[in-house]
Order: sequence, then C-alpha cells, then structure tokens
Amino acid sequence: MPEGRRVVITGLGAVSPVGIGADVFADAVRAGTGGTGPIESFDASAFPRANAGEVLDFDPADHLKRLDPARWGRSGLLAAAAARLAVADAGIDEEQLTAAGAGAVLGTTSGESAVVQALAEQWVADGLSAVDGELAGQTPASRIANAVSAELRLTGETQTIPTACSASNYALGYAYDLVRSGEADVMLAGGADAVNRLTHAGFYALGAMAEDVPRPFAADRSGIVTGEGGAVLVLETYEGATARGARIYAEVLGYAANCDAAHMVHPDATSIAACITAAHRAAGVDPEQIDYICAHGTGTPTNDTTEVAAARAVFGDRIPPISSIKSMLGHTMGAASGFGAIACCKALEQDFLPPTAHVEVPDPALGDGVDCVPGTGRPARLDIVQNHGFAFGGNNVITILGRVS
Amino acid sequence: MTTVTAVRARPAAPVEPLYITGAGVITAAGDGLAALAEHLGGGGASPSAPVGDDAADYPGRPVRAVRDFDVKARLGRKGTKYLDRLTSFGLVACKELLEADPGDAAPDRTGVVLATNTGSVSTHSTLLYDTLTMEKPYLVNPGRFPNTVMNSTSGQIAIRNGLRGLNATVAGGQSASLLAFRHARLALTLGRADRLLVGGVEELSAPAAWAWHRTGVLREGAALGEGAAVFTVQRERPTGPVLAELLACEVRFTPDPRSYADGLADAVTRALGRSGVTAADIAAVSLGAGHHRGLGRVEERGLRRALGGALPAEVIRVADTLGETYSASGALQLAALLARRPAGGDLGLVTSVGRDGNAAAMVVRRPS
Repeated sequence: MPEGRRVVITGLGAVSPVGIGADVFADAVRAGTGGTGPIESFDASAFPRANAGEVLDFDPADHLKRLDPARWGRSGLLAAAAARLAVADAGIDEEQLTAAGAGAVLGTTSGESAVVQALAEQWVADGLSAVDGELAGQTPASRIANAVSAELRLTGETQTIPTACSASNYALGYAYDLVRSGEADVMLAGGADAVNRLTHAGFYALGAMAEDVPRPFAADRSGIVTGEGGAVLVLETYEGATARGARIYAEVLGYAANCDAAHMVHPDATSIAACITAAHRAAGVDPEQIDYICAHGTGTPTNDTTEVAAARAVFGDRIPPISSIKSMLGHTMGAASGFGAIACCKALEQDFLPPTAHVEVPDPALGDGVDCVPGTGRPARLDIVQNHGFAFGGNNVITILGRVS
Repeated sequence: MTTVTAVRARPAAPVEPLYITGAGVITAAGDGLAALAEHLGGGGASPSAPVGDDAADYPGRPVRAVRDFDVKARLGRKGTKYLDRLTSFGLVACKELLEADPGDAAPDRTGVVLATNTGSVSTHSTLLYDTLTMEKPYLVNPGRFPNTVMNSTSGQIAIRNGLRGLNATVAGGQSASLLAFRHARLALTLGRADRLLVGGVEELSAPAAWAWHRTGVLREGAALGEGAAVFTVQRERPTGPVLAELLACEVRFTPDPRSYADGLADAVTRALGRSGVTAADIAAVSLGAGHHRGLGRVEERGLRRALGGALPAEVIRVADTLGETYSASGALQLAALLARRPAGGDLGLVTSVGRDGNAAAMVVRRPS
C-alpha cells in the first residue's frame, strides 16, 4: 500500500443511548452504565421482547443550527447532531472546514428506517396512493451523510455507506483513505441508525434477540438488544492538526475490509482472522502490540464464539482484553463501530479499558485467556487498539488506532 | 461563488487511468450493451406495463420494466427462493459479466462496490407491511429479513462468485453510481483490491412507484425504470481487450440549491483537469437528470459553464430509453455511453446532479 499522509482523530461526537456528548458517553461507558430499556419509539406491545437502546433525550433543535427537523429523518438528524458535537469538540470552524474541502462519510444499516416505517403505516391505513410525498422524499439512506453536509455547509465528498453493521468502520476507513491520499484535508466520518419496528422484528425472528439485557461473552448471553444513535469523528492530517494546535485523540494507523463470501448472516472465523491480520499489516503493527480489542461483541452465542476464535487464530493464547460496549448501548447497527471508535479514542485519552457490562460469569466455552473486562472499566495505559465491525453480507472491517505521543 | 472558488483552489493531482474490462447489463432494452445500443439508436424503448404480483397497484405513470426475467432460469433453482428482484438483477448482471470476463485477479483481491439508496423497496415494504398487520409481528419471515439490509445485493454477489475482497455499498442519491465509481477508484489506486465489480442496480415495485409519484419530483409523463449495470474495473492494464479507460471521477456537495449548477461545473472542471483533457476533447456526454423537474436544466447549465458554453457534439439521455433508474442511473449512463460509441472522438463524460446537493462527473476514454 502506498505511503500517505498521517491521519489523526481530533473531534468526537456521540448521540447515544448512554448519553449525548463524548465525555458523557465515555463516563457512562467506563462506569458500565446500561442504556437499554422499554421501547418508546414504536408500539412494541405485540412483541415478546420489547427493550432497545434508544436516545430518549434527543431533541434535534438542541444541536442543529440549519436543518429543519421536520424535513429530515431521525437517522440523518442523529448524524447531523453528532457531527455538530464532533466539530465543536475538534475546535474547528465552518470556514476551516470549507477551506479543507471537508466532506462527510456516514455508515448505516437501515437508513432512514423511522421514515420508511411511517410510510408503511400510511400504506396500511389508507393505501399506497395515500403515502405522503414529502415523507417519501426523506427515505433515501444517502440523506444521512447529506444531513451532515447540509448542516455544516460542507462542499466535499458526501457519501453514505450502507454496509450494515460494519458501516461506521467502513466510513472511517474510506474517510481515512481520502485524507491520507490528499483528496481532502478534513473529513467527518461515522454512522447513524434509528430503532425501528422491522429491525426489532427481524432480529427476533432470527432468534438473535436477548431476553432482557445484552451480555456479550457471558455464559448466559442470549443475544442482542437493538439500539440507535449517531457517532461522528473528525479526521484530519497530523500536520494540519498540529499546525492548529488541536488535541489529538488518536492516529488512524490503518484498516482492512474483506468479505466472508460464505453466508449472509453467519460470521466466519477464518475470514475475520484474515481481516485482523490484514489490518495489522496495513497499520504496520504486530499482534503483540495490540493493547485492547473493541469487539463487535453482539452478545449472540455465535458472534462471540466466532469472534474469539478469530482473535485466537491471530493472537494465540495472548488475546488482548476484548470487551463489548454493546452491553451498554445495545446494538446500534450502522453506528456501532463508530461508537466503538469513540470509545477507543476516549480509552486512549483517559487510560482505561472499556468494560462489558452485565457479565457475571464469562463463558468458559470461549476458552482460557479471554478477558472481557466484566462489569466496569479498568485503569490501563493503552497505546494501540483495534476496533471491530462485522455485518450481514459477511462484511468485516477492522480499524487500528494508536496513541500519538 | 466563494465556496466554489475555495474548493477549486485545492490541489487536484492527475489520476492514473483504471481499466474497465467488461460490462454486465440488464435493462428494459434487453441484456448487454448491444441490446441497449439498438434501442438508443431506435429512438427509445416502447412504453410497457408494470410486471409482477403488484402490477395492478402502480400509479398511472409509464414504466420501463425488465420483462420476462426468470431468475431461476438464469441462476438455477438453488439459493433463489428468497431472492428479491433487486438482488436477482445484480446477480444475473454479475454472472453474465464474469462469464464473459473472468479476469485473473485472486478472489481475496476481488471485491464489489455497488450503488443503492434504499436497498430493495419491495422486500423492505412487504416485510414492514407484515409487521404492521400480522397478529404476531415477530413472526416476520426470517429467510427474507436479511434481504432488508442495503448491502444484501453486494453480499449475495460476493457469496455466489466467491469474491472475498472489499465489499462496499454506496448511497449518494441520484449520483450514487458515480460515487461508487469514485469509491472504487480510490480503493484500486490505494491497492485495497486488484479488481472490483462496480455499478448500480434498481428494481421497480408499486411502493417505489408511488413514492416517486407522490414526491412530485419527476416530470409529468417521465417513465420509471429498473435494471442493472455492473463493470469490471482494475488497476493493471489487462492483456486482453479494454472496454474503456476510467479517468477521473469527481464528486462534490452543494448545500445551497441555487448553486447546484456551479457545483456540477466544479466537479466537471476537476474531472477534466485530473484526467489531463480539455473541454474540446470531449466528444459525448451521457446526462442523468433529464427526467427530474428543473434538474435537467441545472445539469445542462453546469455542463455548459464547465465546457465553455456549448455541449459536446453528442448528447445521450439514457433515461429517455430506460426510464428513471435513480441510484443505478450513473452506471446505466456509462453503459449507454459505451454502447453508443460516439463517432466524434474517444473521450466521453458522464454527469450527475441530484436534488439533494450531490453532483458528480466521470471521464472515460474508449480505446482508439
């Protein structure tokens, strides 16, 4: 891979089920605070399981200066609000963003799912001919990245990457490539999704939904709880960040993406291991340099077993601490690995290992040497961390972040 | 104009050409570039009625449906039970493409970059309808649920063809396909893959047709379309024949609708500059926005601004033949440009401008 410019992360924006703002988010994650509870965004009374990780205190008007919330879907609004927070955290103004050719790359699983759900409700009530045209115009997933660029008046590349649950990592990787190669000097990257009826029903139908709370890596884990949120990070050149005296959370050392090409929903340990190794090679690091793995960690029996097997194939018996913040947020789908990246940045900044909440007895079947940081966060000095994102369709994307000293 | 100036001031390094070696095309005109060429020359496909189980539920608007499409006949019965129309088009287009142009890149260095804005509207809306009307909404069909994610088609293409390289799905409104080419161009240039299947797919359905109809963004009488165009693209010059060289693909966002023409002009200017060609070299342009109220004029105005006043000698409007194909439009515009083989020169331009602020321009060169 050709050498390029160094790329660093200088701003974090989190609109999450455990709080709004990167510091609030980090404090909650470190404390192992759960953010899931009874669903409020749709009538879930007909479902045997009715919990989700919703952003209950999200009012778009608190954060947005330009977008009219009535004209945008929830996913786009979550993304735009997270972008506002990330830009403020980075201390970069709109003129600087314009001059840098900044754009937005946002991942998602279900796009504007709350909008599509509202349209389906109109269809059921009054027939297809009664669907609202203004609402229909809000359905494209592309409007998630558009919301960010419209809110911040960006003129750079504006791309939504709907590669399901690894989408934020994909967006981070692509944005990193844009900055590294000189196509842009600053990019906003992350992801967004909204809790919705179809995703809830689908994961239940697949037998993948937890009875109460998600317990990744626990012996008694029973699946996921769906979640939502917007996660955005500011990426820029190391040179640019140091020139403007910016705080640097982490350097993006590299990433890798591959595809299982085997099954739509079952992960593949061999393929994930290949992705981890490719990510290490791209970042120029050896396995023993990795201090922490922010796991995909959905909490389904299959995912966690497969993920640990893949890690074991690469790391042998010295698997780094590996934890899942989905234990607290729920599975925020296309935003998940964006929140993972934010957790990694805060862990590097504040010297702690993010925990896997709700775990009392780690699953012995995962084998020896698996430290899922059960319960609450632990102090630890981290230098290089890796962030996992896997998805339906067999899409694996792994990003490697490192401390800049 | 200040924002345009600011973006133009950024360095725009020349790009190395990439090589388009094959095309898999499924449209209302038939399969392949030749069928498309025939219809483009013959003044457009004749209006057709909707097809499928929901054909009676469409609004009163012309459609250009892909007719007599039998996925089981094309792919065999195995694994086709839950395939929706969108993924079926994508799979068949890629099958035709890879049979004709298998290439020699390793499977783990071969990937997919596919455009979509909504995934399969028919699958999504049908399952949503089920969850809203079934007494036990959690009994929604688990075999079809994975088809609701927007990367379902690219994932299925990878599975069926054993493509283990990067597998991206890209949304960008009307410009989605050109954003996919842009994405693929960067990935290939940086060595993230050796070969990528790049393109766009759309399917027709009654819910999607009503959504178009009710938004009111299309010109009266503008037909809705569907189909797929997928291309093999690689970095190394192949030993075999080249369909076209892919030069620069530039995209940008314009927050203010009053400046959309400027946004496109900027994308075109950058694409020409990075391709090392001038406006006078462009023999043909394949336009994308003609079916959208107001946007067709914006596209031509932006183009004239970038090209110094006049449009190229040949102007191709593939939507007149295939209908509005949204996220697939850029890929089908490229297919039309390659099918048409303009007489005035080797260099062609594909442009796109969306109501959402995205604009894109791509330069291709046919072998002499």
